[in-house]
Amino acid sequence: MIETMFNILFYPGILLVLVLSILYFGILRKLAAVMQNRVGPPIIQPVYDIIKLFGKEGVVPHQSGYGFSIWPVISLSSVLIVSLIVPIVFSGLISFNGDLIFVLYMLVLSSLAYYLSGFSSGNPFGIHGAIRGIVQMIAYEIVLAMSIVVVAVVNNSASIVYNSNWLINSYPLAGFGFLLAFFAKIEMPPFHIPGSHQEIVAGSTAEYTGSRLAILELAHMIKTFVLIALMVSLYLGGASSLLIFVLKSIFVLFVILISRVIFARLKINQAVNIYWMSGIIVFIDLFRVIFF
Amino acid sequence: MDDKIPKCNVNSDISNSIPIGPQHPALLEPEYFNIRLDGETIIDADINVGYLHRGIEAALEKKDYVQSVFLTERICGICSSHHTIAYCGAIELLHGAEIPMRAKYIRTIIAELERIHSHMLWLGVVGYEIGLDTLFQLVWRDREHVMDLLEKISGNRVNYAMNKIGGVRRDLDPKILSEISKTMDIIKKQVIHYIDIVSKDNIVILRTKDIGILSKEDAKKYSAVGPVARASGIKYDVRDTGYEAYKYIRFDVITETKGDVFSKVVVRAKELIVSSDIVKHCVKHIPKGDIYIKLPLIVPSGEVVTRVEAPRGELIYYVKSDGTNKPARVKIRTPTYANLLSVKTMLIGHDLADVPVIVVGALDPCFACTDRVTILKQTGNEILDASNLRSIADKKYN
Repeated sequence: MIETMFNILFYPGILLVLVLSILYFGILRKLAAVMQNRVGPPIIQPVYDIIKLFGKEGVVPHQSGYGFSIWPVISLSSVLIVSLIVPIVFSGLISFNGDLIFVLYMLVLSSLAYYLSGFSSGNPFGIHGAIRGIVQMIAYEIVLAMSIVVVAVVNNSASIVYNSNWLINSYPLAGFGFLLAFFAKIEMPPFHIPGSHQEIVAGSTAEYTGSRLAILELAHMIKTFVLIALMVSLYLGGASSLLIFVLKSIFVLFVILISRVIFARLKINQAVNIYWMSGIIVFIDLFRVIFF
Repeated sequence: MDDKIPKCNVNSDISNSIPIGPQHPALLEPEYFNIRLDGETIIDADINVGYLHRGIEAALEKKDYVQSVFLTERICGICSSHHTIAYCGAIELLHGAEIPMRAKYIRTIIAELERIHSHMLWLGVVGYEIGLDTLFQLVWRDREHVMDLLEKISGNRVNYAMNKIGGVRRDLDPKILSEISKTMDIIKKQVIHYIDIVSKDNIVILRTKDIGILSKEDAKKYSAVGPVARASGIKYDVRDTGYEAYKYIRFDVITETKGDVFSKVVVRAKELIVSSDIVKHCVKHIPKGDIYIKLPLIVPSGEVVTRVEAPRGELIYYVKSDGTNKPARVKIRTPTYANLLSVKTMLIGHDLADVPVIVVGALDPCFACTDRVTILKQTGNEILDASNLRSIADKKYN
């Protein structure tokens, strides 16, 4: 009982997840800055950001709806539950039959809650950002689901299984689809459309300040980490020790980095076209894995 | 408040209209666009300016000619020396004097260096607006070469205070001249590299080709000037009239035919190369001599119009003097004021995501220069003066 509490709270539970997600996010920002020939923030900058935000006044706008304070909490809590299921080393802390489907559903809930908080803010920018987010989700969630189904069929189970084969070698099209949906889900260039602050001021998070914004940012960071961990365990052959996990996830981070630095932003209709195209590409692999 | 003054007439509810401005991360200066949407497509747009009105034309009438040169410089941060060239040129015309050749060459060098740093700022901002942060950071890193150079020449990164009535205030020694030459080589090499990137990158092409098209007839109808007009095929550059040292330099006027954002990007980027060549030519052929002639403080009465090619287009100055040491009337027509009329045509039919690209990328606005106020009553063409404006403001805000 004490051991379970230690596992959940510290290692390999919430504390490890928090530390790793903040580290990955900080490394992402620092290396992106170095690639652009500037200094950039220190690696633990996300810690400073979150602590500062918790200290600021949380303003609730007059025109906001009832979900204004609730949707950020739903976004964070669903992604925290997923982080206990997704494997870091070998298998996750909690695992049960069918947890792959559960993980997919909770990830959809987390993104949906993020955009619904934009809708409930009552600000035309927030609403517009949320509209773009939902339009994107219709397209890329299917791609994500299909690539997860490929893995489920290969492993012959609806749970997350430790498979030390690199499935990205045998089913590269599905791996590419997962990567694309991954970029769309965490809003990395070229798909950083719903939060585009050049056109709509900050998108869904426009009216959020203080502790609610801290919760949304934390949810975003942990979602990034969870998706990296999912990519490592589904397509890159899992990890048998923490060191190998960190090395493989740094590999994924580099792919994200290169995409972040060299791509401009697409428009929403162009991006959705690309998602449908990649859906067709993943479908080829899905067909192949089911019938051959 | 007179009810007949036209309001910003785009009415809509919260989910299909977006106010861009006055404060917005995409815009560098305050302006207000009220955009009515249908999903993501723009079906109507209206523009409101006036947030940066500082009463410059009224202030210029209260200062004497020497003080007013410094005020003219601060109308804008990135076209500052062009304002002083136009103004000092107007007063020298009123005197009927001709400034020394060396002063003309120095004025040309400063003007072209300003065009270079203004266009590089704009190139970085285009990268920022389409989401390509890397282009923004790298172009502004290279812009620092020009800013350091301007600081060595004049002591300031903007508002150089180099021009005065009768010539220029500081000379350029041979060491600075050779440094200018070397910097121009660096800038030219980097700009050619950036043109290569921008014209071949797939996503940049997706975001800028066939966006914000301004046809040649529309450009003439809405009196567009500067690179906005040149990208639509109108070959109009005020430097061809040969003011300052331009009549001794041969340079190309870049035009494109399509009129979309991509052609405007190409026009301004190639103008960077032309400007660096002009600077190198001036540095090589600068004649020796005085840098200013002394002109009397009282300016003979008369009225005169000067035009220069600011980085954003044609800048017109009208100066009327009544024989004292203070100007009687100064009227400034900035290029953004002329280009603003074409923004609505460029916006309608495109997406919301194109608004920053068109407004800042294609138009390259400088609203600090632009805000002048002339209100026409609906019945008849009466122009309101300062006391009427004051009473309107009192009624509106009190």
